Amino acid sequence: MLEREGALAFWLLVPTLALLTLFIAYPFVRGVWLSLTNAVVGEPGHFIGLRNFTKIFDDSIFRTAALNTFVYTGVTTVFKLALGLWLALLLNRHFRGKAWVRAFILLPFIIPTVLSTLAWKWMFDPTFSVFNWLFWKLSIINSRINWLGDPELAMASIMTVNVWRGVPFYAISLLAGLQTINPDLHEAAAIDGANRWQRFWHVTWPLLLPVTMVVVLFSIIQTFADFQLVYVLTGGGPANATHLFATYAYQIGIGTGLLSEGAAISLAMFPALLLVVVFQLWYIRRVENR
Amino acid sequence: MAEFDRRKFLQYSGAGLAGILASHQAPVFAQAGTVHWIKWNDFVPASDELLRKTILPEAGKALGLKINLETVNGNDLQPRVTSAIQSGTGPDLFMLFNNHPHLYAASAVNISDVAEAIGKAQGGYYKLCRSNTNDGNKFMSVPWAIIGGMIAYRKSWFEEVGYSKFPETWQQYHEAGKKLKAKGHPIGQTLGHTFGDAPTFSYPYLWSWGGKEVDEKGKVVLDSKQTLESVKFMTAFWKDAHDEGGLAWDDTNNNRAFLSGTICATLNGASIYIETLRKPDQYKTDSGAPMKTDILHSPLPEGPAGRFGMHTFQSHMLMAYSKNQKGAKEFLKWMHDPKNFDAWFVSQKGFATPPTQVWEKHKMWNEDPVMAPYKVAGRLGLTPGYAGPANRKAAEVLTKYIITDMYAKAVQGMAPEAAVKWAHEEVSKVYNGA
Amino acid sequence: MIEGAKWKKWLWFYLPMGMFILALLFPFYWMLVTTVRPDSELYRPWNHPLYSPFWTSHPTLEHVKNLLYETLFGVWMWNTMFIALAATLISLFCGVIAGYALARLKFRYAGLLGTAIFITYLVPQTLLFIPLADIIRDYRIGDTPWALILTYPTFLIPFCTWLMMGYFKTIPKELEECARIDGATRWQAMLYIVFPIAVPGILSAGIFAFTLSWNEFIYALVFLSSPEQKTVPVGVVSELIRGDVFFWGPLMAGALIGSVPVAIVYSFFVEYYVTGMTGSVKG
Repeated sequence: MLEREGALAFWLLVPTLALLTLFIAYPFVRGVWLSLTNAVVGEPGHFIGLRNFTKIFDDSIFRTAALNTFVYTGVTTVFKLALGLWLALLLNRHFRGKAWVRAFILLPFIIPTVLSTLAWKWMFDPTFSVFNWLFWKLSIINSRINWLGDPELAMASIMTVNVWRGVPFYAISLLAGLQTINPDLHEAAAIDGANRWQRFWHVTWPLLLPVTMVVVLFSIIQTFADFQLVYVLTGGGPANATHLFATYAYQIGIGTGLLSEGAAISLAMFPALLLVVVFQLWYIRRVENR
Repeated sequence: MAEFDRRKFLQYSGAGLAGILASHQAPVFAQAGTVHWIKWNDFVPASDELLRKTILPEAGKALGLKINLETVNGNDLQPRVTSAIQSGTGPDLFMLFNNHPHLYAASAVNISDVAEAIGKAQGGYYKLCRSNTNDGNKFMSVPWAIIGGMIAYRKSWFEEVGYSKFPETWQQYHEAGKKLKAKGHPIGQTLGHTFGDAPTFSYPYLWSWGGKEVDEKGKVVLDSKQTLESVKFMTAFWKDAHDEGGLAWDDTNNNRAFLSGTICATLNGASIYIETLRKPDQYKTDSGAPMKTDILHSPLPEGPAGRFGMHTFQSHMLMAYSKNQKGAKEFLKWMHDPKNFDAWFVSQKGFATPPTQVWEKHKMWNEDPVMAPYKVAGRLGLTPGYAGPANRKAAEVLTKYIITDMYAKAVQGMAPEAAVKWAHEEVSKVYNGA
Repeated sequence: MIEGAKWKKWLWFYLPMGMFILALLFPFYWMLVTTVRPDSELYRPWNHPLYSPFWTSHPTLEHVKNLLYETLFGVWMWNTMFIALAATLISLFCGVIAGYALARLKFRYAGLLGTAIFITYLVPQTLLFIPLADIIRDYRIGDTPWALILTYPTFLIPFCTWLMMGYFKTIPKELEECARIDGATRWQAMLYIVFPIAVPGILSAGIFAFTLSWNEFIYALVFLSSPEQKTVPVGVVSELIRGDVFFWGPLMAGALIGSVPVAIVYSFFVEYYVTGMTGSVKG
C-alpha cells in the first residue's frame, strides 16, 4: 500500500499536517473570529464586525507602530545586507584563524535574543551607559546621550541591536553563496581588464542574487514580527515611540486585557507581510529564470 | 466524539509522561491545601523576606495550608492576570493596583464577606479604598495597602538655591528646579508607562490645575482651559528643570538616579529613604555624610486649583478559577487580623499605609519625623476618573496611560493644544464606547 | 589574497575585520565583566571619576551565587533544555519525513502543500497566542512544559522541512532506484538508504531547531506562569528585574550562563549549524 507514491506521501505528511492544523490553522481561524468580536479578558463578548479595525486605524499609536515596523524592517535590512555582504567578502579570503572567527561571529545570532538584548539595555542605561562614558572620554559629547529615552534615539537603538544580531546570519549565508562562485569566472573577468569593483558588480553580485533574495526574505519575515528585542529594550516606549505591531498587540491584548483589539492589531500585520513575501517570491522566481 | 477520545488520549499519555517528569521537577504550586499568592516585588525587600521566612510559615501552621508566595515585577502583574484568566489556571490570590479590579471583575469571586468584616473591625476603609475595589454592589477585591507618594528631596541642595522649605507652588518648584538643573542636579520624574510613579504624578498634577477627565455626571471634560494651562506649564517645566531621560524611566530608574546623586527631587514612595536607612554607608552625600540625613519628604506642590495627591493602591482579588477558594479566604482573614498584619506593617517602615483608619494611631508613625507625611496618605488621596467614579472606564483610561501620555507627547514636541485634543478624544472613546 | 603594500592589507582587511569582531563580540565581554563586578563598582554613573568599564580590580562571584541559590535558575535551565530537546525531536521527526515526501515523491498536491507550510510561517505569534491559550486550557496543559513542546514545532517544522527538502534533493535518485530494483520497498529504500545518507542534514536541522527553541519567548511568556515552570529567557526577564533593588549583576550572570548551553552545543556542531543555515537558504 505504501508503494504508491501518493499513499506514502500522505502518511509521511500526516504528523506535520496534524500539528500545523491543530496549532496554527485552527487558532488562526479563531484569531480572526476574535478580532471581529468585542471580547475582553474573562468575557467572551459578541460579534461586532469590523469595528475593532476602524478603531485601531483611528488609533494614532497603531499608526505609529505600523510606520515603525516598516521603517524598522526596511532600514535594518539594508544595513544587514550591506554589512553582512562586506563581512562575507572579508571572510572569503584565506587567513589564519578563519575557522575560529567564523565560529565566533555567529554568536550574536545564536545566543537567545532576550539575553543579549539585556546586555545592550545595560549598555544603554541612561545613568550608567558605557557608550556615554566612551564618547565623553573622547570629548565627543558633554552631556548624557539618552539612548532609550529620546524617541528618535530609541528607534536608532533598537535598530542597532537588530542589525548587530542579524549581520552574522547574512554574512554566513552570503559567504556560502560566495563560495559556490567559480573563481575562474573572476580570473576570466580580470584578464578581460575588469577592475575589482566591476568584477564584483558584474560577476559576483548577479550570481549571488538568488541566495541574497532568500536571505532577505527570511530576515524580513522575522524582523517584521519582531517582539523580544523591543519588549526587553524599551517595552515600546518612550511614550509609544518604538512600538512595533507585535509589541503593541501584546500591550493591548495581554497588558490591557482587550483581547479582541489585540487580535485585530496582529491580524493587520498579516496582509502587509503577505504582500511583501509574495512580491519577493515573484522576484526570486524571476531572478532564477533569467 | 472523536474530539472526546482525542482529549482523553492526550490526558492519559500526558499524565503518564508527566508522572515521569514529576520525579525531576520541583513541587508544583497548585495542589489541594495550598494557596498560590502572587504580589509585586516589594520595593521594601525586607517585607517580602519577612513574609517568606516568618509570617507565611506561621499562617501555614495556623490554618493547615501551604501558602506559596510568588513575587513579580509590578508592571508584569496585569499581563499575568490576563494570561491566567485566559488559560484558566494560575495563582489563587492576585495583587492588583489602583482601580484594576474593575477590569477583571468578571473573573473575580465576590469577596464582600471578608472585606466588609475587616472594614468594620478596623474603623472603616478610606474612601479611595472602597471606590477602587467595590463596584457599588459588592467587593471585587480586598484592600491591602496604600503606597503614599511624596516628593523625596535633597534638603541641602534646595537650601543652596534659597528654599529652606520645600517649594509650595508649581511656579516655585519650577524656579528651584531650573537653578538646580543648571548646577547639574535636575528634578527626576518619569513620564513612561509604569504603573506607580507616572500616574501618581500626572493625575494629581492635572487636578491641581483644575483639569479633570470627567465631571460628576460622567461627561468627558478633559479638553479645557485648565488642562491646556497645565500642559503648557509642563512643557517648559520639563525642559528647564527635569532630567530628560525621564521619558524612558520605569518605577526604579528614579530611585537609582536619586541614590547615585544625579537628581535632586522625585515623586516616589518612601523606598528611597528606606533604602538609605538600610545601607547608610553606601549612600553618602558629596560631603561624606550619610544621605539619609539629607532627605525630606513633601506632598506635591499646589496648583491654581489646590493641592492633590493620588496614591498607588493595592488590593487582592480571589480568582474565580481558583481551586482552593475556601483556603484563600481563610488566609486573607488571618493575614488582615491586626496581630498578624502588624509585623508586616512595621517592616514596611511607613512605605505602605494600611487601608483602614485604625492604623493611624499606631506608634510607629511617631518614631521617624521624616516619614510623618505618609501617615495620612489614605485620607488625602483621590482616585483616577475624578470627578466621576473610579469604575471600569476610569480603569481603562489609567491602564492605557492616556493622561501620562498627554504630558509625554507635549514635552516631546507636540503642540499643547494637539496633545490635549488627542487625550480628550482617547478618553472619550473609552467613556463613550466609540 | 591582497597583493601589494602591507598597509593596504591593514586598511582593507585587518581593520574592518577587527572592527567587525569587536562590534559583534563586545556585548558578551560586557556581560562577563558585569557578572564579576561587585555592586559598589557597578552603580557608578558614567561621568563618575572612577568609572572603569573594561575591567574590575575586585572580581566577585557573589552575583553568580545569588543567581544560582536565590533564584530558580537551575530549574529554568532544566526546563528549557527539556523543552528544547523534546520540541526538536518532534520537529525533526515531522520535518524529515515531510521533507522527503515533498522532495522525492510525486503527488498531486506537493506544490500546494509546500506553499501552505510556508504560509504558516508567516502567521504572527501574537495573533495565535490567545486562541492557543484556549486550546491549551481545554487540554489542561496550561502552565506545563507540554504547552510549549506542542506549540514550538509550529515554527520549527517548516524550517526542518525546507532544510531536509534541500538536502534530499542533493541525494541522487539512482541510489533509491537501485535499491528498489534489488527488491526493496519504497518504504525500505527511504528508511535504510536515503535517511542514513541524510544524517548530516538531519543533524544540521536538529541543531538549528534546538537553537531556535532556546530563543523562543512569546509563547513561554504567555503560557507559563508558575516560577518553577519557566524557561531561562522568561525567568531571567521576569524574576531578576525586581522592585527598587539593583539586580544587574545577577541579571548579566543569568544572561551569560543562560547562553552557555546553546553556545556549547553550537561549538561542537558549528559546521552542521552553518550547513543547516545555508542549506535552508539554498533550499
